[in-house]
Amino acid sequence: MSVVDRAAAAVGVPTGFYTLMKREVLRYVRRPKNTFIPPFITNVLYFSVFGVVLGDRVGTILGFPYILFILPGLVVLGAVSNAFENGSFSIFHGRWNEYIDETLTSPLSYAQMVWAYLLASALRGVLVGTLIAVLGFGIISGLYQPVPVEQPLYLVAFILVISLLFSSLGIVGGLLAEDFDDLTMMNQFLLRPLVFFGAVFYSLRDLPSTLQTISLLNPMVYMVNGVRYGFLGKAEVDPQFSLIVLTAGTAAVTLANVWLFKTGYGLTD
Amino acid sequence: MLGPNGAGKTTFINILVGLVRKSGGTARVFGHDVEDDYRQTRDAIGLAPQEFNVDRFFPIREVLEHKAGYHGVPANEAADRADEVLKQVGIYDKRDTRFDWLSGGMKRRFLLARALITDPDLLILDEPTAGVDVQLRRDLWDLVTDLNEQGKTILLTTHYIEEAERLCDEVAILDSGQVRTVATPAELKDRGTDRIVVELRSPPATLPDLLSDDDRVEAVELDGHQLTVTARNGGLVAPNLVRELDRADIEIVDLEITRTSLEEIFVELTSSDETGNDIDSDDEATGDTGEGDDTDQPREEQQVAPDGGQR
Repeated sequence: MSVVDRAAAAVGVPTGFYTLMKREVLRYVRRPKNTFIPPFITNVLYFSVFGVVLGDRVGTILGFPYILFILPGLVVLGAVSNAFENGSFSIFHGRWNEYIDETLTSPLSYAQMVWAYLLASALRGVLVGTLIAVLGFGIISGLYQPVPVEQPLYLVAFILVISLLFSSLGIVGGLLAEDFDDLTMMNQFLLRPLVFFGAVFYSLRDLPSTLQTISLLNPMVYMVNGVRYGFLGKAEVDPQFSLIVLTAGTAAVTLANVWLFKTGYGLTD
Repeated sequence: MLGPNGAGKTTFINILVGLVRKSGGTARVFGHDVEDDYRQTRDAIGLAPQEFNVDRFFPIREVLEHKAGYHGVPANEAADRADEVLKQVGIYDKRDTRFDWLSGGMKRRFLLARALITDPDLLILDEPTAGVDVQLRRDLWDLVTDLNEQGKTILLTTHYIEEAERLCDEVAILDSGQVRTVATPAELKDRGTDRIVVELRSPPATLPDLLSDDDRVEAVELDGHQLTVTARNGGLVAPNLVRELDRADIEIVDLEITRTSLEEIFVELTSSDETGNDIDSDDEATGDTGEGDDTDQPREEQQVAPDGGQR
């Protein structure tokens, strides 16, 4: 029995819920080649190409070097894509191979099932987001200037909320998918365009006013701006409003997941 | 539960454990409704399914620990239990192996171990010996018998007649989503027609009117020296037949009673009503395996839900 097991038992975390969450976390923690190394390499490339090679040509945005400007967006990109991917894969792979039956035939409540999957996937998002942030800190501090964290509470809150939101959306995706291709479609045609048009690599001010308005329909804009506010203390959208809307969205999608589990959508005949 | 493929055996089980949503009616396990009290119901059941639906990411010992944990068993105790059930089913030395690397027989044993890890009140085995060799089948039978003798309630589905006859106190025969009957193997065999074959020293020129007032007798045929009586409860009819032949001065050389096999009963029950009932009917579905069966439905011809589509 590990220290974490004992601590969880001591504070009264339900054993069934804790076991499922632990199983989900162990699944990806034991496979760093699938979980942590790919985002590490990808972000080294992002920082190198967009930050170092092209960054000097772009100059500064909002008064910050380009590499520092894109750091919050890359943290968001890593956190949400990993949270989403983990949530959708866990559910869909379990359905596909039917081992999710082990969970479904156990006496866990539907809410416990959803929260266990949700928190494990969100934790992956937070871990990958942190990994990218640490990587960015190292590269930027070494080559340019120290990376500020102007609003640490906002930063933590935004990382948590966006990881939970996309973990929850991933679970919905895992329940809706009929094939592995569906998961790829969701990632490539839904998540990725939202991220790339979410002001990760540019400022909203650089867009024509019409596109600025259209961009505000993209939830990723609020996430990137929120995290950017946490790091740099500057945002193009009110961070408080963003946080409220994202929290409400997370709650709504999570409740929908509990309802889907309860009705057996995608899980039972 | 005995029934041909597609009879609804697995669907019935899946309704009990929550993997299939019933379209109507009620289903209870030990008095707990499978939907309203799903947590109590699922906690009471250990299921060894037909399919190898096992977590492939972890060694089998850990898979068992997880399953125990989902049922609220603390980590320390779950580890001890995992070792215990792996020893019980004879695959303890494979504890650090992943499921995919086990042989077919070991996989079956593992499913049984997983069903036992939570020490369930009701052990459900869905065709546990399907596709296993003779030796393993006998090992599993012995294990199931031991568990039953230790007081474990076991619901077993099979289409091996011998298995039902050997292991079951009661047999429910299902066909096309219908429970055709529920009875002990002996009762079922009593319902069939036996054959009493009598070898006569010298056949009579005309057959006397034998057993005419016995409504258990279905046919009496004479073919040369051989007299064949077809009757229910042949063992009880035979003494009367011998007495009547004796009264008619017909000498018997040999007598043999061929009892109906459970297999013949099964075939008779599952092929007698080709039409069946509409498997998507809205009639009330009853799948009560629990104590205190308070439904008013007769034990015969209860309807259960049919096999559903693929998940």
